[in-house]
Amino acid sequence: MCKWLLWMAVAAAATGQPLPLGELPRGKVVLIAQPHHDDHTTDYGMGGFIARLIENGYRGVYIRASNDEKDGRNGYAQNDIINLREARAGLRHLGVDEVVSLNWRNDFMNPIPLNELREQLIFLIRKYKPDVVLGHNPWEHYQKNPDHRNVGRALVEAYWMAGDRNVHPEHFALGVTPHAARHFYGKGRLDWGLGQQSNVAIALNETQQRKKELAIAAHRNVYHNPGAKKAYLAALAGEGKALPELAAVDDNTASDLILHWWMNWISRDIGRRAGVKYAEDYYHLDRWDDLPGLRNYLQRNAR
Amino acid sequence: MRRRQFLLAAAAAPKTVMVVAADARWLECCAGLVARQLAAGLRGLLVRVGDDRLEGWNMPPEQAAWRNRLEAEAAAKVLGLAEVVSFGYPASELRNVPHTTLRDRLLTLIRRHRPAVLVIPNPHTEHDRNLDSYYAGAAAEDAWHAARFANYLPALALEPYVTPEVYYYAPPVDPRRREPEAAAAFVPQPVQVDISPWFAQKLAAARELKTVNRARAERLRERLAAAGQRLPLLATVDDAAAARLAEENLRGLAALGAEGSNYALAEEFRYAGVEYGIPAKYLR
Repeated sequence: MCKWLLWMAVAAAATGQPLPLGELPRGKVVLIAQPHHDDHTTDYGMGGFIARLIENGYRGVYIRASNDEKDGRNGYAQNDIINLREARAGLRHLGVDEVVSLNWRNDFMNPIPLNELREQLIFLIRKYKPDVVLGHNPWEHYQKNPDHRNVGRALVEAYWMAGDRNVHPEHFALGVTPHAARHFYGKGRLDWGLGQQSNVAIALNETQQRKKELAIAAHRNVYHNPGAKKAYLAALAGEGKALPELAAVDDNTASDLILHWWMNWISRDIGRRAGVKYAEDYYHLDRWDDLPGLRNYLQRNAR
Repeated sequence: MRRRQFLLAAAAAPKTVMVVAADARWLECCAGLVARQLAAGLRGLLVRVGDDRLEGWNMPPEQAAWRNRLEAEAAAKVLGLAEVVSFGYPASELRNVPHTTLRDRLLTLIRRHRPAVLVIPNPHTEHDRNLDSYYAGAAAEDAWHAARFANYLPALALEPYVTPEVYYYAPPVDPRRREPEAAAAFVPQPVQVDISPWFAQKLAAARELKTVNRARAERLRERLAAAGQRLPLLATVDDAAAARLAEENLRGLAALGAEGSNYALAEEFRYAGVEYGIPAKYLR
């Protein structure tokens, strides 16, 4: 199935064919590890898929690797506190109640000891035992944000190393056991270079799409922009255009409306590639991706 | 000037093939190519950057590292490699080794041995979650590049050197690995290498990696058990079962490598030969 998906994706990229739609993986726990408070739901993530997993019985855990001190208009410490609070609020819209903050310094993640971050993620995977891990695709092209690149790198390593009992055996004295999650879904940005070449699309329904829009709007510290309405309308007027739907609401409502449109447009755009109304796209690694030579043998013989 | 140096160096290159390995996976990816090169009369040198200390089962990492070193040397002997150099960096921690330290150690070996062929991990491959290969590959690629310039490590008093042929290897996990690069020169291109006549030798070498094979078999059995599955082959994990699993893996990889070719068994690479450094229009 997964090999089929992979080759479908290669063919899709080469021929402009639709992205294959992925089935919802079976499981109980999804662990989402991203650098920032808002990465659960932005132009490159993941809120619709998270909402769909939670609606289908999953429990969710969100790992915020950085302290988000740069994100917002209040000083470093206050940004950290506000952004963590808003991360909890946004994730509640998706059905995720648990947020773990690792508090590495925001936008300073190139020089951090990445093996230390990796160990934290290995421990958390062993603690929460996710079936599905969601994060940033570290092979995404032209990723300029060091937090995304480095958390992505640490996470894909943690994803396979957490199942190896030779890795950090000192963890086991703390009551955790090795755990190999079965699925990793990596996300890349849409607007930088080639972004990522996805191999699967996850369809969303109206409810999941709505939750995604609400989740991003919860991040008022960075996204709420009451001045946007006047700026957009003025720019449009300069081109001889108007947007009555935006003009009809107050500045605060307009700010939220723009966020909803943004999320709606992205899900529709990816949905179009997959032949559905709304979707998100991912690079999916399954549990045998690291054993390409044994995949067929295991499919034939494992019972 | 640089092009002329390149041609002179290529013409004078002694016949050594130098393999750079982050970990024991090198054998899966390129042992067939290496056996083929050795059969053609080249001398072989294997450089093990990591120590494979995590590739053991129910043993301390130091013991796994030592066993895997001895078994890597035994496997190299089966293939016919003349020399194995083990740097001994802890497995899964190559990120902590300064890039220039690793590069300069490899550069020194390149200038000393002046290989005609380099076989290195591909740092440009995608979706290989073991990033040791990335760090070892990036250093090896840089060493290949820098070894040609006299201003790098002049204190060594070793002549600058250009290796004329480089094979980049990676496990076949990148769906774009077969796509040719945009330019005909200065970027390595995909190539499949027939290893059918050398597959038995590759297999025999893999059997020497008893500790690696055993650890992988045990780990796989544990992963299957966690999913409520089992593999009849691994009902009892012993050296024979582990070797059989290793064989299945190598056969699967060789079949994947041969897809789309007329070969029965193959390995796939990105290849930088003379056309890499000199555009075809100048190669008359």
